[in-house]
Amino acid sequence: MIRVAHLTKEFRVHRRDAGLAAAVRSLFRRRYDTVTAVRDLCVEIVPGERVGFLGPNGAGKTTTLKVLAGLLHPTGGEVRVLGHVPQRREPDFLRQITLVMGQKQQLLWDLPPADTFELNRAVYSVPEADFRVRRDEIVELLGIGDTMRKPTRQLSLGERMKCELCAALLHGPRVLFLDEPTIGLDVSMQHTVREFIRVTNERHGSTVLLTSHYMVDVLALCPRVIVIDRGRLCFDGRLEELVRSARPEKRIVVKLERPVERADLEAIGHVVRHDAAVAVLQVGNASLREAMARLLAGLPVADLTVEDPPLEEVMRDLFAREAGAAGADADGTGGPGGGSAEGPEEGEGDE
Amino acid sequence: MRRYARLFALQLRTSLQTGLQYRWDFVVEGLTGLLFALLGLLPLWVFKRNGAAVPGWGFPEMLVVVGWFTLLKGLIDGAVNPSLIVVVDHIRRGTLDFVLLKPADAQFLVSTGKFEPWRVLDVLVGVAICGSGFVLLGRWPGALDLAGALLLLVSAALVLYSTWILVVSAAFWVVRLDNLAYLFMSIFDFARWPVTVFRGAVRFAFTFIIPLALMTTYPSMALLGTLRPATGALAVAGALGYAAVARLVWRRAIARYTSASS
Repeated sequence: MIRVAHLTKEFRVHRRDAGLAAAVRSLFRRRYDTVTAVRDLCVEIVPGERVGFLGPNGAGKTTTLKVLAGLLHPTGGEVRVLGHVPQRREPDFLRQITLVMGQKQQLLWDLPPADTFELNRAVYSVPEADFRVRRDEIVELLGIGDTMRKPTRQLSLGERMKCELCAALLHGPRVLFLDEPTIGLDVSMQHTVREFIRVTNERHGSTVLLTSHYMVDVLALCPRVIVIDRGRLCFDGRLEELVRSARPEKRIVVKLERPVERADLEAIGHVVRHDAAVAVLQVGNASLREAMARLLAGLPVADLTVEDPPLEEVMRDLFAREAGAAGADADGTGGPGGGSAEGPEEGEGDE
Repeated sequence: MRRYARLFALQLRTSLQTGLQYRWDFVVEGLTGLLFALLGLLPLWVFKRNGAAVPGWGFPEMLVVVGWFTLLKGLIDGAVNPSLIVVVDHIRRGTLDFVLLKPADAQFLVSTGKFEPWRVLDVLVGVAICGSGFVLLGRWPGALDLAGALLLLVSAALVLYSTWILVVSAAFWVVRLDNLAYLFMSIFDFARWPVTVFRGAVRFAFTFIIPLALMTTYPSMALLGTLRPATGALAVAGALGYAAVARLVWRRAIARYTSASS
């Protein structure tokens, strides 16, 4: 379905120092650096999978999605999506994929989204009957029956995003590339969008590759995660494995019948939070059983739950560790483009 | 081909709907266009008042040229410029991604994305000015002359459109080059005069480098029945060749597209 072998994507970016003098100098003498946004990435995704694509800003996530969608040509390596080479942008390939970008919109600004839907129907040559069935299904799932008849410019961000999703999925794509589809949305709207993605995947077996900075999106939708940082693959596997490998710890949330001394808690594990009614302890997986026994035996426990550490913290730890490793590498190599996968400048690249 | 004809009709309908969303804009833009078209007659009127003359071109013949210029300008302002001005912005903002993700020819999609329907008034005024020239002449163009002129109209539109495509393609490299197109549109204003008004290097440039002659002088000559068929055929072939080059450059340019930051 999706096969990425040793994908590398480099951008040539113009670099100059700040200030007017540097700007004038750059008119005559330009300095270019090569920035490697993605390096030697190898990934395979099977049909129907929902995969979360994680990484800090500038990690190369959007670049990878755009290479997979055929918008960017890889500098090296091989990419196949549905058996096609994406950058050839063959119509048969483009009919089977979609790319939703949370920060960009394709809806016609002055017209109701229903007109964009109609235009996309013609562009994708979707038969009228199929179009109606799909549109009605999506409209019902997202609850945009009235929304799609108001001019786009009068819609809220959430309403627009829902209509963007509808416009992007009307042709029934088999592969969904979703680049931060919930960005800027309120909690309830995020939930609606997530549910819609999940139902679409389950009903139609479409493959979903999702990037998001909201970990709750990934937790709710993606059994598998791929983590990249500075263009390199850091992790590819199940979400639980990621948490286990990056933070082999559990959190015990204890509701207390009465206040206890902090020292009593510290004797059992690392105290993350402590107030009169609730305490949160962090303990290693190996000592979980013992810690729980000691809590129940020695403290006034009203209730007790065990959780994984928050994914945000897991990711922060993972990226900090990777940055440390990359820093150590860069000490040995240096040079332009050697260590950073920061997004290239406007018009040149990505993220 | 039928699919693209349907798509074209749909894009046109969408533009009309957009125009109708802003009713007053529609009226104001239409009337402004009309005013500018009529003001375009002013230089010719001054020219006539001062007793100036261009060899081979009397006042009625020059009216035909101005009429043709108004018609062509209406066509270009209504059907070519709006879409392509938008494309440069798409490239800068990275929203061209959505065009390139569609399973249809990207050049077709970007070229038909926006129309300004009220420009049809300019076209009608152009036809009326041309017609008044023929009324003064006391005769009408033959069917063959008319067919030749229309063929040259398509060629002229093709040349102007291809110039835009080259400008847009250049924007993939330097991002902002639409000012060049505005410069060109200013030069295009000279096309309201027969090319024989100009002398020496300017005339050469306006015939072969920026072919203003092809745009208004030759079609007017075809209407008036004074154009040599060989010149007309050469002009059409030149326009087709130019369009082919523009297409080639466009294809190379989109391969270079790097998309903008997310």
